Amino acid sequence: MAGMKTFAAIDVGSYEQTLKIFTISKAAGIRQVDCISNRLDLGTDTYLTGKLGHEKMEDLCQVLRGFVSVMAGYKVDDHKAYGTSAIREIQNTDIVLDQIAQRTGVRIEVLGNSEQRFLDYKSIASRGESFTKIIEKGTVILDIGGGSIQCSLFDKDKLSATCNLRLGVLRLQERLHRLNVRPSRYPQLLEEMLSSQFSVLRKLYLKDRQIENVIVVDDYISALICRKLSTVPEGGYIDSASFYSFLDFVNAHTDGEIARRFDMPEENAPLLRISAAIVRQMAMLCNAKFIWAPGVTLCDGIAYEYAEKHRLITPAHDFEQDILTCVRGISKRYMGSRRRAETLEQIALTIFDSTKKIHGLGKRERLLLRIAALLHDCGKYISLMNLAECSYAIIMATEIIGLSQTEREIVANVVKYNHMDFDYEMERAEGGSMEREEFLTVAKLTAILQISNALDRSHKQKCKDVRAALKDEQLILTVDTAADLTLEKGLFSRRADFFEEVYSVRPVIRQKRML
Amino acid sequence: MGENKGLLDPAYYTNRELSWLLFNKRVLSESRDKQIPLFERLKFLSISASNLDEFFMVRIGSLVDMVNAKYTKKDIAGLSPREQLEMLSGKLHDFVSLQYSTYNRMLLPQLRANGLIFVERHEDLTPEQGKYVDGYFEETVYPVLTPMAVDSSRPFPLIRNRSLNIGALLAKKGAKQEKKGKAGKEELDFATVQVPSVLPRVVRIPGSGKKEEEGVTVILLEEIIERNISRLFLNYDVLCAHPFRITRNADLAIDEDEVEDLLKEIEKQIKKRSWGQTIRLELEEGADKRLIRFLRKELGVEESDIFFAEGPLDLTFLMKVYALEGFEAHKTPRYTPQPVPELDGEGSVFDKIKKGDILLHHPYQTFEPVVDFIRQASRDPDVLAIKQTLYRVSGNSPIISALAQAADNGKQVSVLVELKARFDEENNILWAKKLEQAGCHVIYGLVGLKTHSKITLVVRREEDGIRRYVHLGTGNYNDATAKLYTDIGLMTANEAIGEDATAVFNMLSGYSEPPSWNRLSLAPLWLKDRFLSLIGREARNAREGKGGRIVAKMNSLCDQDVIAALYEASRAGVQIDLIVRGICCLKVGVPGVSETIRVRSIVGNFLEHARIFYFENNGTPEYYCSSADWMPRNLERRVEILFPVEDPRLQEKLKHILAGQLKDNMKAHVLQPDGSYEKVDRRGKEPYSAQDAFCREAAEEGSRREEIRDTRLFVPRAHVEE
Repeated sequence: MAGMKTFAAIDVGSYEQTLKIFTISKAAGIRQVDCISNRLDLGTDTYLTGKLGHEKMEDLCQVLRGFVSVMAGYKVDDHKAYGTSAIREIQNTDIVLDQIAQRTGVRIEVLGNSEQRFLDYKSIASRGESFTKIIEKGTVILDIGGGSIQCSLFDKDKLSATCNLRLGVLRLQERLHRLNVRPSRYPQLLEEMLSSQFSVLRKLYLKDRQIENVIVVDDYISALICRKLSTVPEGGYIDSASFYSFLDFVNAHTDGEIARRFDMPEENAPLLRISAAIVRQMAMLCNAKFIWAPGVTLCDGIAYEYAEKHRLITPAHDFEQDILTCVRGISKRYMGSRRRAETLEQIALTIFDSTKKIHGLGKRERLLLRIAALLHDCGKYISLMNLAECSYAIIMATEIIGLSQTEREIVANVVKYNHMDFDYEMERAEGGSMEREEFLTVAKLTAILQISNALDRSHKQKCKDVRAALKDEQLILTVDTAADLTLEKGLFSRRADFFEEVYSVRPVIRQKRML
Repeated sequence: MGENKGLLDPAYYTNRELSWLLFNKRVLSESRDKQIPLFERLKFLSISASNLDEFFMVRIGSLVDMVNAKYTKKDIAGLSPREQLEMLSGKLHDFVSLQYSTYNRMLLPQLRANGLIFVERHEDLTPEQGKYVDGYFEETVYPVLTPMAVDSSRPFPLIRNRSLNIGALLAKKGAKQEKKGKAGKEELDFATVQVPSVLPRVVRIPGSGKKEEEGVTVILLEEIIERNISRLFLNYDVLCAHPFRITRNADLAIDEDEVEDLLKEIEKQIKKRSWGQTIRLELEEGADKRLIRFLRKELGVEESDIFFAEGPLDLTFLMKVYALEGFEAHKTPRYTPQPVPELDGEGSVFDKIKKGDILLHHPYQTFEPVVDFIRQASRDPDVLAIKQTLYRVSGNSPIISALAQAADNGKQVSVLVELKARFDEENNILWAKKLEQAGCHVIYGLVGLKTHSKITLVVRREEDGIRRYVHLGTGNYNDATAKLYTDIGLMTANEAIGEDATAVFNMLSGYSEPPSWNRLSLAPLWLKDRFLSLIGREARNAREGKGGRIVAKMNSLCDQDVIAALYEASRAGVQIDLIVRGICCLKVGVPGVSETIRVRSIVGNFLEHARIFYFENNGTPEYYCSSADWMPRNLERRVEILFPVEDPRLQEKLKHILAGQLKDNMKAHVLQPDGSYEKVDRRGKEPYSAQDAFCREAAEEGSRREEIRDTRLFVPRAHVEE
């Protein structure tokens, strides 16, 4: 049993709270042992009032205490609890979560949409080979939530784009109810609602890409595909033709009949209809051949993240690349210069890697720096005059999959202060959402990006092959180029001042002329 | 099921109470069967009597309640509650007559001939015997008697349900003349004394010394009291004294939505139960008319609720007679449940289950492995949790102690204790509290539902991850009844079933149902539909010319939807064999409705209790076992589990069990188109009793295993068999 960990993942969802117990080991990978869910509507309260009522909180504590007792039964080694949109919407989150932690021992962390989706995505990837194989062909991931759907596009086994559509099942159900028509008309109305938004998606992202597979993650249809509908013995796969005829069956029968036919809770049937309609619409839109429901949920992603972090599994897929591919996509959308971005990225990383001793930042910050480099000029799409502010605004308004809200804020600030003087008061100016730690990260990354930027002032990639070395309170940047570096050197000193201020090390350019 | 409309015609159904009475008649017929050892026949008569008591308390009781509530909804056979009561009354009187004629004409003479002499009336005692019983009365009986008199200052006392009492009419000594009332009638006092249940009812006394009465002589306790009754009422003349017994309505209809604390409510209900309305009064034949009149008035019973017995009241005492030593030749030798080969030998039960699913057939095979499963789990350091549903457990249950032990050893133990198990509440509350004290998490049943499923889950942390071991059964976790009830158990480490089992317990703990199930079907949510769809599939196959076959074994069949589906299947040509021990509301041989359905009932030494279902499924047969009968209460108001048996080896075993029961021509009664049951015509056939055959086979299998072990030699195969 050495090396095997028992891990508990808790998803404090808006309408349902789930606890999954996993065993994780190098030998056997991640295996789900138990899944417990409890229906408690937190969403209605917090969406409406921004507060979690006293009674609701008591109920939630009750649920969590139950979870804790189950966890004790399995003698879990570790656990992680994430709250999603309902918890996000609470105004005084910190206070509420602290109270819950005091009462139950469960510390809920808040998950932003893009983080949540990224975890969902990781949970799919946790299915290993099946995943690797399926994304060899063009693939769309449909992550269907209560409020919105996340659509992620795969191209040549990399995540190439992702977008959020406000078409979650609960939202759609509510809209249908508001229309006040008889339920038999729902399928047609749903189709209309979906097709308008989906066609935008098509124009923006799909274009002429060949999509063969649709991967679906949700709380309703996935389980059914996994256990009842699968046309392949391993389970979870269904060809689109069979899926369409399943939907015809669904549309022709009552909730009760569907529940009985498929051994499922009747109360799930209405949302299952919507979920299934979304999948069909997408499959038809891109003419997909196969639908795969890996049957995973957020909890699986939490477990995967944990396993990855504790090196209990070797990731088969490079998630960082996915994030970067998406970021490149964003940059492209705002007419960023690819070559310039790549040069900047290269220089920045060289500096980052050779100054580890003095910045003390990790792998994650390195990724943020790369993202900042790639998005450094996105604001120019709007205005060359207000580059800093516009870039900041664009980044803050764009969901970057895999990045938390705070991380996105760091990137946005780094990009912003790359173009303007650093504002030491910014943590207070921004409403204090940034912690000291993160403020320092911004400063450190900004310093690096600034000198990288200075080194490529002319945008001519003169300093592409730069080497960096720390020596006697100096950062020697050796540039192998025959080009004239007057412009770069001239602008360098002001940037170097800031760098020195942050690191107490003076960057110096040394040109080694190539012959 | 639109086509089924015509199949719901009441003419196609038998009233369930009537069918139950037929079942009890089959039990009684065992006591009339001369082929059966004499003392076994006593046992069957006793069982028929205790069955009848329960029938009065529960079924007649609830019909009476319905009539009182002016409820007129007709039953499956189109009868209103009042009509049912009227129909049953005559039949019940006939049944009781048959019981006593069996007792008097068949059993008593046989007992006497075989050396057990019953002194039926204390008047028949010899002077020596009389002296002996008087001494016994003085020493032992008198101190525990509590006579109670009724007069203007003392109201009619509470007569406990099912207790045996002696009622007497008294007249004050020497005051006969003065006490004459205005109408010139005698004024009499009534007194009653309960025959103490703490003393044995069957009292052994010295023989009469007559040659023809050699052997064991016994007398019933009430006769001894009657003989000495005057000593209880010293200032009175006892004009007459007769035993009487009442049965009260025991229907437990608790509205669970309205009670906050279920436990307290049931405790209250139990106390209340003795006060239930009197629905039957039993009296000795020839009892004094005045006494009868008095009791009728005080107890508020109708003429038709009085049952006169041509012999001792409450024939359940015959079970005590059965226990008398010295008559072993007249009893079926006690059967020792055999070891289960797959679970025999060294090593942990978990390793053995891991090797493959194991089917247990009780009582032919011992229940010990099930107890051992929990016992080992309680001690095993790798076991994390034990979860179990308990419905009825034995008095000193080893399972309860193992569970308590497990909690003590730091395992998480969750137990769902069903408090609503009929007549067992008191017992259940007791040990549920015991478990709670030991640190187990006890769930006291579910609001609105009885948990009848029998499932145990053991969660174990092993080298390669967490593994689940599951036991599923058709019978209760009761080591005592497992020696008498035929049941099926399955032990498995199958992940799909393990996952479902976990989900079952999560649901029982109040969490959401899983998005869908792997293998198990649960009542009240999905089970009925599953059965209907399985039956429907056979019908479809038959219609498509692929043939169809259903064999189902259960205790009772009275769900109208299921029966209608069976009729529908029969119409489609499905061959249906039903082995229904008790109530069966289905009618066989109805032209165009049930021509392909055969029903048989096996009443034997062991109580048939297993529920096994076979569906041919166009050549890919499916076998299931369940805790549920095809009754509305099982399918709609209880938590029940249906589990598949998928291992071909085990399917073969179930096939054999069903085939054996269908072949039985000794203990089987076959339902006739006229609604009666008849024994199988055995002419030209080998006599075959399934229960006996299973006993033999289990013993053979058990001993074969021992042989293999005894040799301790490996026998290499000489060549590969083709």
